[in-house]
Amino acid sequence: MKIDSRLIFSFCIAAIMSVGIASHADETCNSPYMSGLIKGQEDFVHVWTLGVPGMGDGSDKLVTIDANPTSKTYGKVIHKISVGGRGEAHHMGFTDDRKYIWAGGLDDSKIYVFDVGTSPSHPRLVNTIDNLPAKSGFLGPHTFYALPGRMLIGSLSNATDKGGVTGMSVYNNKGDFIAKYDMPTSAIKQIKGDGYGYDIAVNPAKNALLTSSFAGWNNYMRDLGELMKDPEAMKHFGNTMVMWNLKTMQPEQILAVPGAPLEIRWALAPGQNWAITATALTSQLWLVSRNAQGAWQAKDVATIGDPAKIPLPVDISITADAKGLWVNTFMDGTTHYFDLTDPEHPRQTYSKHTGTQVNMVSQSWDGRRVYITSSLLSKWDKQGKDNEQFLRAFQWDGHELAPAFEIDFIKEQLGRPHHMKFTANPPRVASLTGVSAR
Amino acid sequence: MRPLGALAKVVAGVSLYGIAGVAIAAIDPGKATAPRMEFVPPPAGSYKLQKIQRVADAILLDSSGHSVRLSALTRSKITLLTFFYTYCVDPLGCPFAHTTLAALRDRVRADRALAQRVRFVSVSLDPTHDTPEVIASYSKEFTIDPQFDWRFLTARRVPDLLPVLDDFGQDVSVEMDANGHATRTLHHMLKMFLIDARGEVREIYTLSFLQPQVMFNDIKTLALETG
Repeated sequence: MKIDSRLIFSFCIAAIMSVGIASHADETCNSPYMSGLIKGQEDFVHVWTLGVPGMGDGSDKLVTIDANPTSKTYGKVIHKISVGGRGEAHHMGFTDDRKYIWAGGLDDSKIYVFDVGTSPSHPRLVNTIDNLPAKSGFLGPHTFYALPGRMLIGSLSNATDKGGVTGMSVYNNKGDFIAKYDMPTSAIKQIKGDGYGYDIAVNPAKNALLTSSFAGWNNYMRDLGELMKDPEAMKHFGNTMVMWNLKTMQPEQILAVPGAPLEIRWALAPGQNWAITATALTSQLWLVSRNAQGAWQAKDVATIGDPAKIPLPVDISITADAKGLWVNTFMDGTTHYFDLTDPEHPRQTYSKHTGTQVNMVSQSWDGRRVYITSSLLSKWDKQGKDNEQFLRAFQWDGHELAPAFEIDFIKEQLGRPHHMKFTANPPRVASLTGVSAR
Repeated sequence: MRPLGALAKVVAGVSLYGIAGVAIAAIDPGKATAPRMEFVPPPAGSYKLQKIQRVADAILLDSSGHSVRLSALTRSKITLLTFFYTYCVDPLGCPFAHTTLAALRDRVRADRALAQRVRFVSVSLDPTHDTPEVIASYSKEFTIDPQFDWRFLTARRVPDLLPVLDDFGQDVSVEMDANGHATRTLHHMLKMFLIDARGEVREIYTLSFLQPQVMFNDIKTLALETG
């Protein structure tokens, strides 16, 4: 990736200060090493969208939506860029300078790098990385987590048997492979690792890297109805979280968290060194924190909906002050809000049916806007009339989610909308070149 | 110090700041906080540092005004390189970086054998203002020990610097005032690059990672690699 020397500008008003730890609990789930936190109104929402055969060009694409209410094109799709194929578009993440988005395909294991810094309203595809399986042996790049000058990538599967045993990879920001780290399969302190992977989240002050676990290609690329009728296949879901030493990149502790723990959110304010996750299959919130002896522990602290009905909690979004948590449950299409004032005892204080199926949820830093998308996986989404595909934006006043705008991804012939990221127009800055003649 | 000129050119894609209404996009720097370290760093040599990238060569200027190859200052020793500008006043920016480096220098200096194998390099982000004379004056505070190798560099002109910034992934921009004129504030993400004796970047520290004990252990880890 070359930086355009004519257009060297930063997203940050004061990037030096913007990497402060305490200010980055969530926006909603970005790496704390990332610069350019958007605290005000986001201008654009980028949606990594799965292609659907026969719908538009059928390709996976990055869809850009104008999210600024003062804009003439507010609530409209203003740009889309196809990647020329269908590889199960899923998650994405910013580089540490917030100039680029890395977006992965769970099926083809390709990684697409979009330039969103030069002109966030018109992202450009600038690099395609297709060597993840060859370099690491892993399949299904899922989480893209910025480290200084690098991208840490959590995968879901492996190229040998396409099961859930997997690991993490590191690339530099130029797109070169650097290293791989296997998820532990042996026991640490009597708890055996399952080798599965999913999300990644770092607490810098604790030198702590926490990972969660889901399932391999054999499961996530299989029809959900068939899968749930296959008792053997249903055994192949992650049941652990792993605490790593970030500096050494060695696993130090394995935590038993049954039922596929998915997204991880740290509360990073001083004195609040805990993380929270939701288990997809058992429908619980789990708190990861230190016990009196200083060891990390995981305990279930709340149920989400009625676990017997398998509501399937998917994405979560923690508020900036870590006092609240949005949780989407896919099967019943419900968006829940939990009061996290006492993280040991989360309380659901609000819920709303937001669609026939809902998956990702992202909130603005100020918590006033909440965005929801519908698609989980191409083979897991509902069928027929329940297969709504949308992005819905809401205003949140602390009491009610009020609809702001909606994009119908089927009507617009776009595909299945999945992960969302925000950008804002860059501030007024000049390049070094521009002032060099002074 | 002379003020920045008025020839600043606003780059493409600037936002419409100043329009009425509440929905103004704002990228907020957030509250700056010094790095916290609430853990015992792993001992030097007990871990491997990643090989992140090789450092590209460039021609820069030293504080005497002589041309120097960057490769000559990023090889043969363990190098800690950072970018700065002399008039930066952000308490958690360049002054913080150089204070951290000065403390680290003192720690390294206490181990005479190690000190022989370490150098620091500070490269100015503003060659227009930070001439060799200016950085020579600025660096006096940090180069008090002639036995410790700490170089301050600038460039003959901005185009000579840009490939270096590009290679390191170090972004920088100039803040504008309300009239569209360049101010005296350069925005850049504070980064330090730990480079091994073969010219390979092995660690990158942003503000969250500026933990002197960890940095010291990283330097010793690289020293142990080559004996």
